[in-house]
Amino acid sequence: MEIEKKYGPAATIAICKLNAGETLVAEGGAFMAMQGPVDVTTTTRQKGGGGIIKGLKRIFSGESFFLNHFTAKNISEVWLGTPLPGDIMVHELQGDRLVIAGGGFVACESNVQIDLQWQGLKSIFSGEGIFWIKASGQGKVIINSFGFIYPIDVDGEYIVDTGHIVAFEETLNFEISKASKSWIDAFLSGEGFICRFKGKGRVWCQSHNPKSYGQELTPHLKPKQK
Amino acid sequence: MMEINTSPVTQIERLGTESFRLLKVLLAPGQKLIVEPGAMASMEAQLQVETLINQGFFQATLLKFLGGESFFINYFLNPDQKPRHVFLSQSTPGEIIERDLKEEKLYVQPGALIARTSQVQVQVVWAGIASWIGGEGLFRLELSGSGRIWYGCYGAMIEKEVLGDYIVDSGHLLSYPPEMKLSLKLAGSLFSSLLTREGIVLKLSGHGKIQLQTRSIKGLAQWLNPRFWG
Repeated sequence: MEIEKKYGPAATIAICKLNAGETLVAEGGAFMAMQGPVDVTTTTRQKGGGGIIKGLKRIFSGESFFLNHFTAKNISEVWLGTPLPGDIMVHELQGDRLVIAGGGFVACESNVQIDLQWQGLKSIFSGEGIFWIKASGQGKVIINSFGFIYPIDVDGEYIVDTGHIVAFEETLNFEISKASKSWIDAFLSGEGFICRFKGKGRVWCQSHNPKSYGQELTPHLKPKQK
Repeated sequence: MMEINTSPVTQIERLGTESFRLLKVLLAPGQKLIVEPGAMASMEAQLQVETLINQGFFQATLLKFLGGESFFINYFLNPDQKPRHVFLSQSTPGEIIERDLKEEKLYVQPGALIARTSQVQVQVVWAGIASWIGGEGLFRLELSGSGRIWYGCYGAMIEKEVLGDYIVDSGHLLSYPPEMKLSLKLAGSLFSSLLTREGIVLKLSGHGKIQLQTRSIKGLAQWLNPRFWG
């Protein structure tokens, strides 16, 4: 499957070119347009596993309950968009594993397994999802971001604000922690939670934090008037 | 205790585009930078972060409640022998402005400040009734001293040299120098002002360079509000 990105980095879409028999699995809501003979089925899971529980778990990861399966009967195109202004990255898995943070998953080829990974109690405090998505297998994964994406090759230790994580290679260990020396400082600093990556591997960060944008906006929003 | 290198931050890489700007700041050994809470996107683990009260207790209280800034401020310090980087961003999509102050003052929209070198002072000063009615608040954020500052802009930035009067919506005013006087003006007649929600606009008078931002968070909220609850 060939995937072309267009209109980046502020309004990126992914144009997926499918050959006959190929299937693209996309998050509900990502679909924008398509051309050609395509069968679409909607499920709460990937083929061969899960079920409703997986769908429910996906909600906790900040993703949608449903997955759409686009199967091409002949050469076709499926166009995917994203809710926030920002960029898209396409990562090809070759047996390696990728962890995708809060709401970043858009779509993948059908030979990619997506599963939910419980991030442990520590992730509850991070303000991000309790589950992150783990992608493994063979094939391309499409991931979105708020703003543009910059990769960092970690060798040793590196710190990313939890709201700025897009995805990272599973070879990295991480702990949810604080940027300051003491916990009191951490609570007062307003930096919130950070993710301390350790080991060797790549982490992709987004230039902007969707939560900060929301916090900027909410004081100006009005409650429902009866 | 290592000696603090107070030379201005020299190596800054501007990444992204004006719709999503990100700064990569390289701190030399011993160098420190004052950063607003929440501005750090990612950084090398060797950097130290220290949280202090912003400009002393009294000013910090004013800054927090009247200046739209934070009570606490973070010092990013590089105690390492090698230069280390930190990425800085802002909450809204848009441009980041870098500016050198040379013994001068500048008024910046509350909440816009991202980082500054330690010789720049921030305080909340009385802005006058006109500013308050115009939606800008009774107090304004005053930057002074000599050093480098970075502040965020929602959307793109427009710089305008004003000679005489210039009228601007308060949500779009990013910065202006102390030579400019603020006063109020109705956008149209009283009736059309109420009707169009432009209401009261700010009038800047004098001679100086002002900066505008092409988007306004209040504008976005005004557009969103009627759409939420059908």
